[in-house]
Amino acid sequence: MERRSFAAMGTTVELLVDADGADEALGAAEEEFHRLEALLSRFRADSELSRLNRAGEIEPSPDLRRVVELALAGRERTGGRFDPTVHDALVAAGYDRSFELVPADGNGSPEGAPCGGGVRLGGRIELDPGFRLDLGGIGKGFAAERAAELLALAGPCLVNAGGDVSVRGGRWPVGVETPAGSITLELSSGGLATSGIDRRRWRRSGRELHHIVDPATGTSAETDLLRATVVACDLVEAEIWAKALVIAGAEAAASEARARGLSAVLLSTDGRAVLAGGLA
Amino acid sequence: MTSHVGRLYALALALLVFFLAWAAFAARPWARTAATSTSPQLRALAAREHRLRARSVLVRRVVARRWATYRAELQRRQARNAAAARLASAPAPSVRVVTLPPLTITRTS
Repeated sequence: MERRSFAAMGTTVELLVDADGADEALGAAEEEFHRLEALLSRFRADSELSRLNRAGEIEPSPDLRRVVELALAGRERTGGRFDPTVHDALVAAGYDRSFELVPADGNGSPEGAPCGGGVRLGGRIELDPGFRLDLGGIGKGFAAERAAELLALAGPCLVNAGGDVSVRGGRWPVGVETPAGSITLELSSGGLATSGIDRRRWRRSGRELHHIVDPATGTSAETDLLRATVVACDLVEAEIWAKALVIAGAEAAASEARARGLSAVLLSTDGRAVLAGGLA
Repeated sequence: MTSHVGRLYALALALLVFFLAWAAFAARPWARTAATSTSPQLRALAAREHRLRARSVLVRRVVARRWATYRAELQRRQARNAAAARLASAPAPSVRVVTLPPLTITRTS
């Protein structure tokens, strides 16, 4: 078993591969993460995403096009609960720089901002005036999937990007922490993502805020779910649904996971952990 | 002799005048002038033709715009269908709850 950790996309990325002499594959996977971060980060002024957000339109690279395409498909499937146009709502709430640089407390008006803006994807990507894209979570999921593809050339592997996990082959026990102890899920394919309001929190004018924006209100979601962990056929899909279930709230999330056949661990703000969908 | 030649010239001249007059009459120069300058029906028809031509240009533009919109929407729908088909055909993730110690953990990302 070979292992490598590095910092990328505002988190720690862990690569595990069940093979010897996998240095080349590990290097390629790490390089892919950095390459995609340079394209998709909203915190880098020179990234392709930042150029799109500044100009309102761009002739995109295949990777940016693909991620935007996946994000828009996710918005449609989740009825708008997952939305890439939450950028301005995050900035209005104070999350306007890499999270470690966001002041934990401060003044300001966490009024929110409109979401659900139009994004046209033809030969170019065109944004409705006044809307910008945030591809943070889905970009990380996309990068982890790409890294896993490269790593799988060396052998069965797992990529963990700050809690978002993609696996190829083998059997990988992944721990989901709950107040009652850890639940271990064994994965051999697909992706697993956790979204929640228990991290990336800050205060503005005495109000507690977090990074999960409800596009319906344009501000931090009010939900009784602390975290949702979702297993899906790939990590991008898992990421989209984890966020959508958190916004839906505990009861609706359990019903939706069951209806859609999603395997999910739902942890409520009162400490209850529910196995839903395919895990129930 | 002189009067005989004179009569021949007079006859030739009369024939020439006759044919010139006949050609001028056959050309009916008065007909064109009357049609273009005096008939109100023809003027109305010409104006209508002009309006129809202008309108056909507009209709062609509208049709081209609607066709482009339809093509773009079709492309989007095909992409959505392809994505849905990809998801439907993707192998279901293999996952189960086990009692093994975890090799890694997931948390809010």
